[in-house]
Amino acid sequence: MPDLPALNPVVHGRLRLALLSLLSGVEEAEFTWLRAKTEATDGNLGAQLLKLEEAGYVAVEKKFVLRKPQTLYRITETGRQALTEYVQALKQLLGPAMDA
Amino acid sequence: MHDHTTELELKDRLNLIESMIAEGRRNTERWGWAFVLWGVVYYLAIAWSASGHSVWAWPVTMLIAVIVTVVVASLQVGNHPGTTLGRAIGSIWIALGISMFLLFLALGLSGRLSDQHLFVAVISAILGMANGASALILRWKVQFACAVVWWVTAVMTCFGSNAQSLIVFLVAIFLCQIVFGVYGVIGEAQERNRRGPIHA
Repeated sequence: MPDLPALNPVVHGRLRLALLSLLSGVEEAEFTWLRAKTEATDGNLGAQLLKLEEAGYVAVEKKFVLRKPQTLYRITETGRQALTEYVQALKQLLGPAMDA
Repeated sequence: MHDHTTELELKDRLNLIESMIAEGRRNTERWGWAFVLWGVVYYLAIAWSASGHSVWAWPVTMLIAVIVTVVVASLQVGNHPGTTLGRAIGSIWIALGISMFLLFLALGLSGRLSDQHLFVAVISAILGMANGASALILRWKVQFACAVVWWVTAVMTCFGSNAQSLIVFLVAIFLCQIVFGVYGVIGEAQERNRRGPIHA
């Protein structure tokens, strides 16, 4: 029997996984949009985004639009790769149970 | 870690990924209001032109609808991130809007909107094209059904009387603009209410 793959703990966190998945479908997203989609608190969301940033999975850009601060997040190639590998590992772990 | 990770939890993660990716790509349903708005505007234009002011009815109503659409859309899009898919679909509808606006403005002002069959056939074919293209990109059967209704309308209006052509057009507007638009608005509202907060 082949060894079961390990799940990347950075990606496995529920909110972090939701954030990576959301960012994988868009070019870039504002903090407020991510908050609206996940319904997470500012503190929790900020902390999880920071972990993803430290892992190199998301890139952050801060700018001013009409004198208002705007924080934009986008998934990096490393982040996209990590998400893809996580999904593959998940499917492998679930195996036949996926169809159940 | 795997020892403590239940199968249910893993399935939950997979569902979460799918729903979040879909959420990021969700664009068309946010435009349900626009379908309803344009459906109502078509009805107003038809009623106005039937009252004897056919030269101004379409250009004026279309201009007002374009202004309202642009204003509401610019307010709505502000916080929403861009996607390649969204831009592709947006391009189709913007191109449709420009084509229809220019065509019907010119036809209206030149007084050549007199052939009702041709008018309904052209407008229906253009709407069928835009709905069909969007539906194929999104793989959305409901919107493809709307495209089919528009294509059938375009063909049917070439035959039959003026009254029959008008009835087919009014029914197509009701189904593909009003009903489809309301369906989109309800779908978006249900999606918003269904999901709870995501915790770390």
